[in-house]
Amino acid sequence: MQQTNENKRMNIVVCCKAVPGLITDLKIGADGKAIQYQGQLLAINECDEYALEEALALKRIHGGQVTAVSMGNIKALDILYYALAKGADKAVRIDSESQDPQVASSVIAAALRKLDFDLVLTGTQSRDTLGGQVGIAAATLLNIPFAYAVMAVEARENNTLKVRKELGGGRYAEVELTLPALLCIQTGIRPLTFVPPARRIRARQLPVVSFSLADLGLQVDQLAPRGYRFVAVHPPERTHQVELLQGNPQEIATALLNKIRESL
Amino acid sequence: MSRDVLVLVEHSEEKVESLTSQVLAMGARLAKEMNIELVAAAIGHRIDNVVQALQSNGIDRILVVDDPGLALAVGEVQAHVFAEVARHVEPRLVLIGYSLMGMELTPAVASKLGMNALTNCVNTELRDGAVTMTRPLFDGTMHAEIALEEHASAVVALQKGAVTSSPPSAKQAVVQSIAIDVNNLPARSRILEITEEPKSNVDLTKAEIIIAVGRGIGDKEKIHFADDLAEALGGTLACSRPVVDVGWLPRERQVGASGKSVAPKVYVACGISGAIQHLTGMRDSKRIIAINKDPNAPIFQVAHIAVVGDLFEIVPALTRAAQEARTR
Repeated sequence: MQQTNENKRMNIVVCCKAVPGLITDLKIGADGKAIQYQGQLLAINECDEYALEEALALKRIHGGQVTAVSMGNIKALDILYYALAKGADKAVRIDSESQDPQVASSVIAAALRKLDFDLVLTGTQSRDTLGGQVGIAAATLLNIPFAYAVMAVEARENNTLKVRKELGGGRYAEVELTLPALLCIQTGIRPLTFVPPARRIRARQLPVVSFSLADLGLQVDQLAPRGYRFVAVHPPERTHQVELLQGNPQEIATALLNKIRESL
Repeated sequence: MSRDVLVLVEHSEEKVESLTSQVLAMGARLAKEMNIELVAAAIGHRIDNVVQALQSNGIDRILVVDDPGLALAVGEVQAHVFAEVARHVEPRLVLIGYSLMGMELTPAVASKLGMNALTNCVNTELRDGAVTMTRPLFDGTMHAEIALEEHASAVVALQKGAVTSSPPSAKQAVVQSIAIDVNNLPARSRILEITEEPKSNVDLTKAEIIIAVGRGIGDKEKIHFADDLAEALGGTLACSRPVVDVGWLPRERQVGASGKSVAPKVYVACGISGAIQHLTGMRDSKRIIAINKDPNAPIFQVAHIAVVGDLFEIVPALTRAAQEARTR
């Protein structure tokens, strides 16, 4: 284990979202402001888990404290216990739900103001709403510097970080940020560690702090999404004809090979 | 409020990004239908060539912020400048490409301006008088259509492929320079350098046949099924992001928004579910064959030929068929 470097120790908050696996009974809510559905198997959003993994790695190297924060109903507790089992020191649930990124980021920014942090890590995008907005929007509301799609984090002297962020197409920017700062972490930043089931069970005994909207000085009616309404939700329309090949593997293989040859 | 359409321009190496050209085409269409102006905002340093290239896109006005401080601007500085430009325009719609830059800037600009923001949009159109966006949900298995209220304004980030670029327009845009002080911003972040993935022997962009594997391959030890097929067909092995994230293949093999964009004659997707970031990197392939056991996988939205089944049965059978055909 590397020696901890006291002047680089950070209090890190990781924002994680509980996202559903299987979705059924999808429809638009009566007010048109949200999508309703039955969701099974809530799990930690994948890139948020990478953000947690990175926070725990930074803590191992430099010391400090990792706090996992999730906004959601009581079901979000599951992923907070998972974060504690992984090694988070504290967990906070914000008792609020919103699919709207502006609303969610204002609630999360209010919660972050109540927490003592040097660094906030989030994922890049949640698999349910695919918005990718809440991290950067919260940083903007908190007026702190940010970087999106971060693939490497290095703590430096003078309260700064050096990070590598993706620019797309195999290009990267090396960015220096002064703390406090917020980073949206990409998947694959480092390997995910396995959490033994026994530790996951033990973690369920650990305390989770709960923030209500009132604790954050917010009122529900301030938090209604404004400016738009859902008008339809449906499976994507195909833009072209798709040919479905059927048969046994040999028949399919023969047909595929012919298709490939005529394409060349 | 002017209620115009403002497009935020992305450029690199003095060229307008192709995604921005698509966004401009979308903006021109909306501006015409809504009878409003199309305004473009270009920021940077020494960007005369970019401004010149923006002409002939049907733009009414080009707003330019040219400052040495913007030569290598970090996200928070770009967001500040674009938001200040938007305050000049007070647009109904701000359009931007959903590139890595758009992903970073959209929420920042929208938060600064107090506007709604809709990312990842695959379409924007005027429908029954309302600006209506289509965007994916739940890993791309569903699409939602969202109508903007009459009074509301929004930043809309558009996916690649949402629109095809339009033919050149004879309209000459008025170029207007805007002075925004970028040198007295708090220096809390800065770009140290831009780096590129080291050159490798693998050039996915030149391959005629690509055999790509996704998470569905399940195990590093099983990658050879796809590699064998690539060899039998004379193709090149590639993969989606999750395969790189878990370390089964190196990043030089990655197809998608953060990896390579490819358009081979044949693209065989094996066990790739089809996250949008992957689809944007391969949907221009001439013939897309998708093999996946989940009939609802979004990869089938772009596939020309669909095989719903077990890739561990179909891929080896195809490999054998290709090998036999070669030796005959």
